[in-house]
Amino acid sequence: MTPTDPRLLVHAYVDGELDPAHALEVERQLADDPALAVERERVEALRRVIAEQLPREGAPPSLARRIEAAVGLRPAPAPARASARPSWRALAASVAVAAFLGSGATWLALSPGPPDADMVVANHVRALMATHPVDVGSSDRHTVKPWFNGRIPEAPRVVDLASEGFPLVGGRIDVIGRTPVATLVYRVRQHLISLSEVPAGRTIATSPGQIGGYNIVSWTDNGVAYWAVSDVAAADLDTFAKAFRAAEPER
Amino acid sequence: MASLKSEDDQARFASVVLPHLADAYALARWLTGDRADAEDVVQEACLRAFRGIGGFAGVNARAWVLTIVRHAAYTWLGKNRSASLVMVDDLETLEQKQSSAGAAFEQAPQTPEAELIAKADARRLEAAIAELPVPFRETLVLRDVQGLDYREISEVTKVPIGTVMSRLARARRRLIERIGTDKPGGAP
Repeated sequence: MTPTDPRLLVHAYVDGELDPAHALEVERQLADDPALAVERERVEALRRVIAEQLPREGAPPSLARRIEAAVGLRPAPAPARASARPSWRALAASVAVAAFLGSGATWLALSPGPPDADMVVANHVRALMATHPVDVGSSDRHTVKPWFNGRIPEAPRVVDLASEGFPLVGGRIDVIGRTPVATLVYRVRQHLISLSEVPAGRTIATSPGQIGGYNIVSWTDNGVAYWAVSDVAAADLDTFAKAFRAAEPER
Repeated sequence: MASLKSEDDQARFASVVLPHLADAYALARWLTGDRADAEDVVQEACLRAFRGIGGFAGVNARAWVLTIVRHAAYTWLGKNRSASLVMVDDLETLEQKQSSAGAAFEQAPQTPEAELIAKADARRLEAAIAELPVPFRETLVLRDVQGLDYREISEVTKVPIGTVMSRLARARRRLIERIGTDKPGGAP
């Protein structure tokens, strides 16, 4: 390694990679050559601004857990505990979430593990196993929403969450009980989220929970019950739910 | 399969690989440009590392892990972003031509002040780094974001230290030019 270009050596000097003899030589050149000194200032400024603006971030905890499970360092993710009652902790959490989400919406933590939740999960699982998880595949809500016309009584609320990291994949008709409902499918990273919109009267939204390893978040807005189900982490699903609820009403 | 591995391997994996998960994820994210893809790459790399844990010589765990992550990322890029790797070959050829012609540095159209560089925000920096060709990007990220020294970078990227130095200098020069020609503040 014998780089002779002094401008190349400045980088190594700034990085503390030069032996004392070469470092002294570069220092001498820096003193003699203003252009070289400016180069050094730029490189140091760049290094500083990178360190300030792009702090190192940790790996997602869910990734560490997945890897530990994959090599047998921790048991595979436990299936959902079908608790008979919502625990105090869960209840407190859902109250906190309700408080966070504010007015105009209700988060209810009333009926744990109702049949509807099972059906929502079953629909999601079936869709994942089918050739296509959607009947209408489009990332354009102006394509997806009209598709439901004539298929179900009320067109679903379709919002564009691509900028939030949840691009729209499409939609399909699911059946909950005997009611056909609109289900939208959003993608988050490599995972899919099924969001079923159930007209009023059919169902009561429950607290966030888990069935068979799938996370579920449900809420009610304007008399429509929403069920989001996915194998993404509960926190991601919460983020999705908040983004969906916060999205601008469509026109 | 995990069940066939001894507990020794698991313990070794826990002490060699897991401490460097954040670095692994960071490198994978910069190479793939996407958090979810980075998770997939890291997971794949960790499985490879687990299978090959017996082959780790015990010198520099971080460099060993990052080498595997980089390899997994390249495999991923080859499958999903083959265009970005095609560019690598061209770039290497270009780089060789330039260095053999002694033209290690192009004339910079602009030479921004250090003051302007210092004002760059995270978004502009990220965008500028993401635009770097892969060999430059990985060298810069390993050095300036992840803090590896030249020898470690040379080990991870499988090139001589002199090449590490020239790639790093070029990557920084491109960033400096890019930040200098961008309008301060950038898009809203």
